[in-house]
Amino acid sequence: MLKESLVAAALAAVMVAPGTAAAQQEKSPPRAVVLSGPEAGQRAPDFRLPWASGDSIGSVEDDFVLRDLRGRTVVLAFYPADFTSGCTAEMKAFTDRYAELFGEGEDVVVVGISADSLETHQRFAQSLGLPFRLLSDPDQRVARLYGSKGDPRPRRTVYVIAPDGQVAYRDMRFGALDPRSYESLKSAVRSARAG
Amino acid sequence: MRRAAAFLGGLVLAFGMLQPLAGQEEGITPGTPAPAVVVKDLDGRSVDLGAVIGSRPVLIEFWATWCTSCQAMMPALTRMQEKFGDAVEFYGVNITISETREGVREYVAEHQPPFLTLYDEEGVAARAYEPPATSFIVIADSGGTVVYTGSGGQQDLEPVLRKVTGRQAPAE
Repeated sequence: MLKESLVAAALAAVMVAPGTAAAQQEKSPPRAVVLSGPEAGQRAPDFRLPWASGDSIGSVEDDFVLRDLRGRTVVLAFYPADFTSGCTAEMKAFTDRYAELFGEGEDVVVVGISADSLETHQRFAQSLGLPFRLLSDPDQRVARLYGSKGDPRPRRTVYVIAPDGQVAYRDMRFGALDPRSYESLKSAVRSARAG
Repeated sequence: MRRAAAFLGGLVLAFGMLQPLAGQEEGITPGTPAPAVVVKDLDGRSVDLGAVIGSRPVLIEFWATWCTSCQAMMPALTRMQEKFGDAVEFYGVNITISETREGVREYVAEHQPPFLTLYDEEGVAARAYEPPATSFIVIADSGGTVVYTGSGGQQDLEPVLRKVTGRQAPAE
């Protein structure tokens, strides 16, 4: 209920923006109002999505539910599409450097999220040997919650959710080919794990 | 039902190869100045692209040893370097996110790519050019303006290189 209320409030802000902007135009330039997702320190919106890994597709009863992972650090990696070269580079780096970026314990859960189907996800995960799950968000409902909705595909962003369910870190312009993006993510995960 | 829908989606993959993604992530925009960044080479020496950008045409490929599209482009790039290498500077910026310096060095020694290899460990060039994919190629003219960007294993670079060098295509 709270989630829907927040989204409704945000949408209302967008809808009234043109009128208020017009009224303010004489005093200051109009500003775009953008749904930007939760910032660091804010509660991470809960969601439920189906998943696939390289060797299985989760059953309906076994959907990924964010709130079930309270007590663990969660990395949400929104990305445009399976089997595109930028996304392959990102997921390959996550795989090749998993222990370095996310640690070796089970206290960190990493998931990739795109609008692709579960079958496509499974093939993509198999092709790269991904050691984590991919969530299917075909209508970008969750991407929208996290300010990552794109047209026609999700934007590339990364969130780190602390064990208490708060957003610890986010990168709304994650550079798939930028080494510094990975270093920042690594530091953020380390900090979130340390509490 | 879920599996059936997933299977239909998976049929898209019948088309095979990795595709560069159009839309949100397109890299540096043609018509804008090519950033004159300083990037390290495999030996850690600084290479100032500003020394050539704006005075000679420049071709930069963002590549990785594991990138199949980059491998597919290698023969064409070699031909282009043989044709235009006297007038155009060729650079290959390695995307270091899943590489080791030693691994790249061995690959370069074995495959002899037709460019000066840069190892962008700090992501200087990656942030400046915002490559959306490995195999992303940028060509700037002698005035330093980006005149071409593209990705994938089947890029036709010769018309662009003819244009930036002012060389005519041979008469048929």
